[in-house]
Amino acid sequence: MTKSVSRSDRTLTRIFYGILTVFSLICLLPIILAISGSFSTEIEVATKGYSLLPRGFTLDTYKYVFQSQGATLLSAYRVTLFTTVFGTLLSVTITTCFAYVISVKDFKHANKLAFFAYFTMLFSGGMLPWYLVCTKYYHLNDTLIGLILPYSMNVFYMYLVRNYIKGIPYELTESAKIDGAGYFQIFIKIILPLSKAGIVTIVLFYMLTFWNDFYLPLMLVNKDEYYSMQYILYKMNANIQYLAANPSGMGAAHIVLPTQTIKMAITCIAIGPIALVYPFIQKYFVKGVTVGALKG
Amino acid sequence: MKGKKTFKKDFPLYLMALPGVAVLIAFAYIPMAGLILVFKDYNYKGGIFGSPWADPLFKNFEFFFNNMDNALRATRNTVGLNILFFVFGTIFAVAIAIMLSEVKNKHFIKISQSVMFFPYFISWMVMGAILNALLSSEVGVISGALQKIGISFDFYSSPGAWVVILVLVSVWQSTGYNSVIYYGVLSGFDTSIYEAAQVDGASKWQQITKITLPLLRPTITIMFLLSVGNMLKGNLNMMIGLTNLNPMLLEVTDVIDVFVYRSGVQNGDMAFASAVSLYQSIFGFVLVMVSNKLAKMYDSDTSLF
Repeated sequence: MTKSVSRSDRTLTRIFYGILTVFSLICLLPIILAISGSFSTEIEVATKGYSLLPRGFTLDTYKYVFQSQGATLLSAYRVTLFTTVFGTLLSVTITTCFAYVISVKDFKHANKLAFFAYFTMLFSGGMLPWYLVCTKYYHLNDTLIGLILPYSMNVFYMYLVRNYIKGIPYELTESAKIDGAGYFQIFIKIILPLSKAGIVTIVLFYMLTFWNDFYLPLMLVNKDEYYSMQYILYKMNANIQYLAANPSGMGAAHIVLPTQTIKMAITCIAIGPIALVYPFIQKYFVKGVTVGALKG
Repeated sequence: MKGKKTFKKDFPLYLMALPGVAVLIAFAYIPMAGLILVFKDYNYKGGIFGSPWADPLFKNFEFFFNNMDNALRATRNTVGLNILFFVFGTIFAVAIAIMLSEVKNKHFIKISQSVMFFPYFISWMVMGAILNALLSSEVGVISGALQKIGISFDFYSSPGAWVVILVLVSVWQSTGYNSVIYYGVLSGFDTSIYEAAQVDGASKWQQITKITLPLLRPTITIMFLLSVGNMLKGNLNMMIGLTNLNPMLLEVTDVIDVFVYRSGVQNGDMAFASAVSLYQSIFGFVLVMVSNKLAKMYDSDTSLF
């Protein structure tokens, strides 16, 4: 009896292994498709369509992309890199400082400030007033700071760091205070080192936000010099689909149609850095999500 | 005297909170005040605060009620898609989390978890480009396979198909992320229950259906209640990234945020867009409050913060 049960259990486990493997593969499939497309020859793709293995391996697409679109891509990469690096630095500083302030137990305004941040998650003015205020009053359109500032205080991430800071024993900061340390010293010397894991997590979350951001460029950018990598992809998709929606091709003559393989090459160039760092940073995300969800 | 001393002591705290407060005021609170737009006769020169008041004051709402069809369609799409995303997202995430907890090989768990988390890193723009490579009628992998078996189907002119496509893409993107949450909850369960069940001769399948799922139910309920608070939030980025607001597909993709973007930001028609925007803000607020309350009632330990 027990033997037959355990046999069916073993079958079940094997099925689970199978399903998990298949689902994992499906998670990678689209990326493999993009990579393979970028190495395929245009004629093969145009006549036979995409496939998972490159159709006729070639580096010509990349060569062509760098020659013809090199300047555009380089500029977009610069914009994206700038917003990612400086955006993350600024945002993490603002967020962590705020998170510390609301976790100081004997600061009389801590709760008020916490609610001040929390309320923005409950109620929001929505896109339209936001857009009008940013463009009309702050003049953030076509500026680099406009691609950073609106995201620099993410209340979710703020609470995530606060959860880490809350885990630091009260006695530790209290004894530092008795020794005469001010709040700023306590923050630098005790809070920052001890909530490192949480800060690393939001650094990565912010980096991902800025790298993949499309919303701010969509709302605020018109000039090509401020195009980010994601915005280039948007333009690229737009041209292709504009043609698809107008089969006659009328009015589309002036648009340089990105051919299929070029599209995939640009896509790969956009994911490249993420794919490269992913293996090293993913564990922080997994941990961050678990902590954020369980404690939060 | 004492107050002065506390202020001096607390001064670094004020200083450290200041940037965060400023950003919140600038990008959250002032736009909230900007909702008065709905009572204004907007002109470009005056902006939100300088434009004259609408006459009569509720003029913009008339537009809203006269064009109810658009608002209703946007609401239906937003709520409908969000529900589908939640239902299928949860089914997949829970199933994957349970399977991960049943296979005991640590390396396998680690690797498959990392791989499944990867789609979370992929932006909607990238997804859109890849989706086009799958679905385009000329070169798409899926359309090509369909053509081989004699079906010619143009995805980019069939809005109905996009209900399925959007749900699949959403599942693809979020399952790894959400399964991490459920897996974390699962790993916290008391193992002695399972040991007792094993002694009683329960099979793995029985343990999953009779122990794990019931134990997960509170978490799923809480997740659901909290997601109710976001029911009226549409994902503009997703729709632009995946469909580029292709006019043929708007029947399905025109969620509230897309609608406000198209009418307000693209066409500058503030009268109607502002009314829809206000409606989304207010009902969104009501939903969040109700769902938080329910979540708290359901489980007093759980509130978002």
